[in-house]
Amino acid sequence: MGALAIKNVTKSFGDTHILKGIDIEIDDGQFLILVGPSGCGKSTLMNIIAGLESPTSGEVHIGDRIVNDVAPKDRDIAMVFQSYALYPTMNVRQNIAFGLETRGVPKKEQEEVINRVAKMLQMDHLLDRKPGQLSGGQRQRVAMGRALARDPILFLFDEPLSNLDAKLRVEMRTEIKQLHHRLKTTIVYVTHDQIEAMTLGDRIAVMKDGVIQQFGSPQDIYERPSNMFVASFIGSPSMNFIECHLAEQNGQIGVSLTSESDARFVPLKDGAKFAKRVGQEVVMGVRPEQLDVAHGDEMALGCKVMLTEPTGPDTMIFTRINGKDVTARVHPRDAKGPGEVMRLALDMGKVVFFDPKTQLRID
Amino acid sequence: MIQSTRPAQYGFAERWLPRLVLAPSFLLSLVFIYGFVAWNGYLSFTSSSLLPNYHWVGLHQYERLFANERWWVAVENLFKFGILFIGVSMLVGILLAILLDQKIRQEGALRTIYLYPMALSFIVTGTAWKWMLNPGLGLEKMMHDWGWTSFQFDWLVNPDMSIYTVVIAGIWQSSGFVMALFLAGLRGIDDSIIKAAQIDGATLPRIYWKIILPAMRPVFFSTLMILAHIAIKSFDLVVALTGGGPGFSSDLPATYMYAMAFTRGEMGLGSASAMMMLLTVSAVIVPYLYSELRRGR
Repeated sequence: MGALAIKNVTKSFGDTHILKGIDIEIDDGQFLILVGPSGCGKSTLMNIIAGLESPTSGEVHIGDRIVNDVAPKDRDIAMVFQSYALYPTMNVRQNIAFGLETRGVPKKEQEEVINRVAKMLQMDHLLDRKPGQLSGGQRQRVAMGRALARDPILFLFDEPLSNLDAKLRVEMRTEIKQLHHRLKTTIVYVTHDQIEAMTLGDRIAVMKDGVIQQFGSPQDIYERPSNMFVASFIGSPSMNFIECHLAEQNGQIGVSLTSESDARFVPLKDGAKFAKRVGQEVVMGVRPEQLDVAHGDEMALGCKVMLTEPTGPDTMIFTRINGKDVTARVHPRDAKGPGEVMRLALDMGKVVFFDPKTQLRID
Repeated sequence: MIQSTRPAQYGFAERWLPRLVLAPSFLLSLVFIYGFVAWNGYLSFTSSSLLPNYHWVGLHQYERLFANERWWVAVENLFKFGILFIGVSMLVGILLAILLDQKIRQEGALRTIYLYPMALSFIVTGTAWKWMLNPGLGLEKMMHDWGWTSFQFDWLVNPDMSIYTVVIAGIWQSSGFVMALFLAGLRGIDDSIIKAAQIDGATLPRIYWKIILPAMRPVFFSTLMILAHIAIKSFDLVVALTGGGPGFSSDLPATYMYAMAFTRGEMGLGSASAMMMLLTVSAVIVPYLYSELRRGR
């Protein structure tokens, strides 16, 4: 049995179904990300894991116990909240000590725990301050310290970085990852930020409308999204969807691509897989970095540049293929200005195909 | 300079218009509040009786006041009334606010019901409670009619207890208001603080006692200030409920002042008692204003 298992959990308020049969299982020490747009039910799922809400049906296992009827305090968990949820009238030391006190930890041991946590998060100098005297990043640190003091078997992070400014967010992200490497405790982390999801997670559960769309490793989800929602949600800029017609020419299965200045038939890498679908409409999913400048004489499509967006390391090229706006990520050296034509080549080994009706990936 | 960029002919109006607009109210409050306070202060050092006169007698009226038994009854009543009224209103109000904060159904309706007494004037409250507490008319008679003939509740006509009926009516009127203030404060508390405390293992009473109520300190102080000055200035409630009686057993300083100045022809004595009340209110309000204004800077 893993550290956390969620079995067919549902949650409804009257006729409103928030969660519709969630199944997740992770091993000890894994970093699970629950990611999805707002209203997808990820926070509700988190609250159910924490015991702050109870599921309508299904089971939640933490360690080797079913915890459906166990109070939050007895679940051996610690939680970090988006708003930090520090106790406003207590100083940092008292904030950390509050949970220890409640559980009847002796005074001397409390001191040791506070000092250990303060050292770990480098916040010794903040111990006697009130939350109101701390900056956002420091509050975040204290909230994490309060969770660490508990030494639980499961950490829950509920969008902990959403209230921080961009620079601090990146720093804290790294810090959380380092912390996880050091402590090796199982973590469940809710976020709506796909970059946090990709960078932090061992396992990612992408959610939408109370259903898990895909559950897998970050790389798996990035390269082999199970449907168009996951494909567009993960990755920035998001995946291009090009509607095209699957056809056979000269014994090769491929798609016809048309830009404003060029048209070409592009054969698929392992077209044999798609033999059954020849003659059907499909949606080709192309990541911006899979659409690169053609350097040699490979199969390439001349595309007219509409707009460029330099980001520093890369330049985004906006163009149109098959009547759809498409983004390509190219090296700034190769980028041309608006109005000019660039030869773009598709990495046909990596593109994925979706069924336009079911939106599911076609294998 | 920003002003010099504007056309010169607006200068006069712009400079004088605000002062002109404010002048009447400034003048009125100067005369009718501060002027009359000063006049009253002066009268308290004179031998004024039925009508004001300006015969200076020094501290004579204050000496008479402090030798007057009725005044001390009024002062003692003020303490009894003030402490019980503020304390119990606060307690009941906080309790109601906490109970209403548990995300219950029909909260809006309940809130209005509890807040409504505040919309009544103290005269109405006093009259209604006078009927209810009247032994021959209200609660006692109802109990007798129901067959509990030994039931006795005569506080309204009992000189030792009459001041407590004023307390009861005052609490009924004000606890809803306290509740509204605290409810607003409780709503300002982030929900996740309560969740965090639950995960920390705290029970609900402990969460309120250790985390939420300490965070209500500013609300607590504003409420205290408001109730304290209501208590010290209380007049209409006593007049409507007991009329200061039986005898003068439920007199408060305000009713004492009214009785002396306007019905017993002891204007000097009344002025002196009014000055004592002014000093008491200042003792409560001035430190509060001072701390508030200093924080605002």
